[in-house]
Amino acid sequence: MSAGKMTRFLPKWLRSSRVVIGLVIVGVIGLCAIFAPLLAPHDPNDQSLTAIFLPPVWGEGGDPAYLLGTDSLGRDVLSRLIYGARLAMLVAVFASLGAMLIGATLAHIAGYFGGRIDAWIGRAVDVWMSFPPVVLSLILMVGIGVGVRNVILAIVLVDWTRFCRVLRSEVLVVSRKDYVAAARLLGFSHWRTITREIIPASLPLLITLVSLEMGIAVIVEAILSFVGLSVSSETPAWGQMIADARQYIYDSPWNLIFPILAIFTAVLGFNLLGDGLRRTLDVRVTETQRV
Amino acid sequence: MIASVLPLIGRRLLASILILFVVSVLLFFVLHALPVDPAAMSLPPNATIAEIEAKRKEMGLDLPLPQQYLIWLSQVLHGDFGVSIHYRRSVVSLVAGTLPATVELAALSIIIAGVLGVAGGLVLFHVRGKREEPLIDFGSILLLSIPEFLWSLFFILIFGVALQWLPFTGRLDSDMRLPHGSGLLLADALFAGRPDIFWSALKHLILPCFALGLAFSPTIMRVLRSSLIDVYHEDYIHMARLRGLSERRILLHHALKNAFLPTLSLMGVQFGFLFGGTLLVEVIFSYPGLGNLMVDAVRNADLPIIQLVGLAYCIVVLIINTVVDSLYLMLNPKLRLR
Repeated sequence: MSAGKMTRFLPKWLRSSRVVIGLVIVGVIGLCAIFAPLLAPHDPNDQSLTAIFLPPVWGEGGDPAYLLGTDSLGRDVLSRLIYGARLAMLVAVFASLGAMLIGATLAHIAGYFGGRIDAWIGRAVDVWMSFPPVVLSLILMVGIGVGVRNVILAIVLVDWTRFCRVLRSEVLVVSRKDYVAAARLLGFSHWRTITREIIPASLPLLITLVSLEMGIAVIVEAILSFVGLSVSSETPAWGQMIADARQYIYDSPWNLIFPILAIFTAVLGFNLLGDGLRRTLDVRVTETQRV
Repeated sequence: MIASVLPLIGRRLLASILILFVVSVLLFFVLHALPVDPAAMSLPPNATIAEIEAKRKEMGLDLPLPQQYLIWLSQVLHGDFGVSIHYRRSVVSLVAGTLPATVELAALSIIIAGVLGVAGGLVLFHVRGKREEPLIDFGSILLLSIPEFLWSLFFILIFGVALQWLPFTGRLDSDMRLPHGSGLLLADALFAGRPDIFWSALKHLILPCFALGLAFSPTIMRVLRSSLIDVYHEDYIHMARLRGLSERRILLHHALKNAFLPTLSLMGVQFGFLFGGTLLVEVIFSYPGLGNLMVDAVRNADLPIIQLVGLAYCIVVLIINTVVDSLYLMLNPKLRLR
């Protein structure tokens, strides 16, 4: 019973098991990213050509010094995974916030003012959506060149539409509410109406979308580094580890499995968090769906 | 029924052409911001600066960008998309040679995604409010977290490397030759009466198609489930119950028809994503389609190819969207009469 009493003091959204599991996963990966130099047993770029393709420690011939084995150049897989979390989290956080900033701003302008502005923004979204996201991000990376900053920029430029489309209809609904009209009648400026009356109402959806977008950003970064269009080869990246391991799939399938699991876990964490937040924050989801 | 939606479809088509025009402008300007020099790349590495300058003039690269775009556009309208810098072949023939492979892959995948999505949606709906719900729901989030390229790698590891059940490179066994025809291998093999080629092509398609289908089915599942839940709040469902119809009949004959519309329009959007998703799946399975051509072109900075392949992706997505929207209009009586 004490556990039940404890949870009563937690905010509603923290009582969802999805949110908690998602936060734990994201938190662990985040800690790995921040404290990578302390956690990683080896330098992620240290090559040891006498110890290539070592299996994980539980495999036959595994070396306890290399818990998850080594890759084709004898680099420690575990250390590369931990350092790879840095790039993944960096891109996830900044790309999703950037996409959110552009998408949400345009969504609020479109949904609140409506009319011609709304139509133009809608058309821009249509143009963007006619490109498959992967293709558009590839073309952008060709156009702006590689590097972490450009990966983030490319994801922002591709994915703002996700925020814009979904949030616009939410803002449209909220803008028609009586309390918004009341605020205007009280003499609130447009700016004040949007920031004080509309954003608080669209915030739950916004937070959910950011969380889901982080998962998408992790995937897109992995795709770009898999194709070799993300960061230079000195920076460990999960997608790059997959690309390397794919060439030696018969020598060491483990090298392929670990980065796959890393990407999957990260995306699962963000999706659980996003889905849990959607259920607890969205007022329209009924109580039974909130479990 | 069709006549009443024709004007709407026409308007949609016109909008698509406009979008395509804007896309071509954007594509042109993004790609010309590139730090590579196509003139220098099309000459041997020992070319002198003067030779490169002359080539730049010849290729029109010294003109202002808008003018370059107009020249490009007029060539394109005459069917001339230029020559690949790397392959030294007409870009149109390169794209025409690879597009059918990608269309075949995408079409089979969306069918798999649709079947899995509808089946999964019915399961999700069926377990609502029951004890199994949290577990199955969690399963759907789990599925949602595995993108197509992770499925591809899983499948290669399990069915290709470990069990060795299915091939995972290319479109055909290496000792078979591509039959001439549309480029849609399954259809070509059937027409040519070659069951061996058909079988080989099918085996090569299974893993990539399931990778794509599985990656795109969870969204369909979840939308079908929530639109079914919405539909079940409608009065006519209560009426059907009062009339004594079985739950199965209500679901399959009354609810599904209406709940399917949002699912259909979502599948249109999903097809756009799926068509883009083929790019990476093709690279992973060394499948000779548009995606592999694109990635090669990106690595070689082969601008003419990137330009046309980018446009080709857009055109396919726009066609699909127009078709799905038209279907939606025809199937939805509420939108028909306006």
